[in-house]
Amino acid sequence: MSIIDIIRRGKKLKLFIFIGIPMIYLLIFFFIPFLIAFLYSLGMFKQVVYQYVFVPEPSLEYYSGLMKFPGIFKSIQRSFYYASLTTLGTFLISYPLTYYIGVKLEEKYRDLAVLIIFTPFWINFLLRVYAMRFILHEAGMINLILRLIGIISEPIKFLGTDTAVIIVMIYSYLIFMVLPLYGVLEKLDVELLEAAATLGATPFKAFIKITLPLSLPGILAGSLLVFIPAVGEFVIPELVGGPNTTTLGTIIYSFFLRVRGVTGWGIGSAAALIYIVLILVASYVYMKFVGGEVRLG
Amino acid sequence: MSYAVELINISKSFGNVRAVRNVSLQIRKNEFFSLLGPSGCGKTTTLRIIAGLEEPDSGVVKLDGKDVTYVPTHKRNIGMVFQTLALFPHMDVYDNIAFGLRMRNYPESEIRKRVKEMLEIVRLSGLEHRRIHQLSGGQRQRVALARALIVQPAVLLLDEPLGALDLKIRQHMMVELKRVQREVGTTFIYVTHDQSEAMVMSDRIAIMKDGVIQQIGEPYEIYMKPRNKFVATFIGDAINMIEGDYLEPGIVATSLGQIKTIASDEYFGKRVIVAIRPEKVLIGSEVTGDVDNVFEGTVSMTIFRGAFIEYRVMLGHDIEFIVFKPHVGSSAPLLTPGSSVKIGWNRDSGIILVE
Repeated sequence: MSIIDIIRRGKKLKLFIFIGIPMIYLLIFFFIPFLIAFLYSLGMFKQVVYQYVFVPEPSLEYYSGLMKFPGIFKSIQRSFYYASLTTLGTFLISYPLTYYIGVKLEEKYRDLAVLIIFTPFWINFLLRVYAMRFILHEAGMINLILRLIGIISEPIKFLGTDTAVIIVMIYSYLIFMVLPLYGVLEKLDVELLEAAATLGATPFKAFIKITLPLSLPGILAGSLLVFIPAVGEFVIPELVGGPNTTTLGTIIYSFFLRVRGVTGWGIGSAAALIYIVLILVASYVYMKFVGGEVRLG
Repeated sequence: MSYAVELINISKSFGNVRAVRNVSLQIRKNEFFSLLGPSGCGKTTTLRIIAGLEEPDSGVVKLDGKDVTYVPTHKRNIGMVFQTLALFPHMDVYDNIAFGLRMRNYPESEIRKRVKEMLEIVRLSGLEHRRIHQLSGGQRQRVALARALIVQPAVLLLDEPLGALDLKIRQHMMVELKRVQREVGTTFIYVTHDQSEAMVMSDRIAIMKDGVIQQIGEPYEIYMKPRNKFVATFIGDAINMIEGDYLEPGIVATSLGQIKTIASDEYFGKRVIVAIRPEKVLIGSEVTGDVDNVFEGTVSMTIFRGAFIEYRVMLGHDIEFIVFKPHVGSSAPLLTPGSSVKIGWNRDSGIILVE
């Protein structure tokens, strides 16, 4: 065997280690379970006592069961509503924030500023969301401050409402928008803006024509990172919401963990499948719409 | 007639660094003017102050006679070619060049016409829909030039735009820049640390060091009559210098003995440097009886430089003279290292410098 052959084999080994092993991991922990869930949703895979039975006749029984579930369409709609507002809210907060950190702030303070934004995320997610219950409570800090400065006389009831869910979701997902945006804005070449100014562009026009298009890859990545998990969010609507904040996520959660059994898992799997299809469609439309504008280098 | 650009007592500091100190300049219309100096001399800061990208701590900036010291960049009628070129990476050649006209809300039909004209001037026709990353260094350079020129700025500012190019392309682009400047008839202010670029293209050059202008003049003038030691050494390939005391009119006493120079009362009694350009030094049979200063030396090195020959000649123990000689015909006698040789120069070839 020649040296070149050994090197070639070495290359193949590296490819296997760095791509093959993660792929095997995904196969075992994602694709196969996903296939099982798919079979479950079609009633083709059942657990009878301690036996797993494969039934070769697909049926849409669980899907129709899910469609008959009261408020299902409203919940799906609500999931997308929450996710859209969360994406928009995190974007509106993150863009100016990361712009000023990544472009305007002196370079030596940038890492520190990003670190400060990160600090809430050192605390356990459940704990953070749970703490928000106290802040949003009628006797909580927000109501207290609003009353002290005299904006309201009666406490506002946040908990159990859409507002509470969206506030907490924006707070929880913020970092997933901040990081990709910071990534593109920190690399923005300020000389491009100076060049635009020498060509007669006002700061606003330079922003629209240069900064915004060049940060589009970050906007795209950030909004997908926020939107996709936000559609499936179930902890936040459970903890700060109420009967009127059921989402697709809470429905999947309750079928799998509350209803359980063959039917619970069947309907839960059907809901998870619908969730995936909707996400794929929404992401595709979004990438077509926004991503079509993204042209790199 | 007002000047295209006038700077009056401009100063600018960054923290403790005084980048520009009391700079005053008058740049004429349609002039090719260079700001030349080593890195950190304040030339780029001066250019950015003209562009409005930096605000001076004190002083006045005038464009076409009008005070624009506090006018923002986008309202000044200037164009700029950046050192990094700063081409918009998300746009093609056409959109880059059209940018300035679009900012001025020109109709698309007019933009199309003018971009086409400009592409011809910078010789890029046919490449309008190329992306920036698909262009060569020289082509990017032309796009940056076209983008800045299309808005017909009163002044075009160029910040070391040729720095990143190979020598051959750079030499070519120097001639191109000069051609374009004549063709569009715009004032060019060119910042560079490369004296050959400045010499080739400029009508006038300002030499800067440590934020201070050392000398302003035509290339010939700066080369022949440098005002101080810094300018004399910075400009040109090399210069020979001997220190001495100017004790009597037209005579400087040095470690080599008396050197005859031009007579000028202003140096009387001062410690001076006599500087002679290598091509002004006579060598071997050229040194005839009527040459003013003649010295005996030893050839220490002979270097073939292509267009000419460079001799290093030791005078005494510690003074080495550099002599450039064109080679005439194929029989030009090469002096071999170690041989004794006479060198000399006439008094009007020597430049007197005060530290």
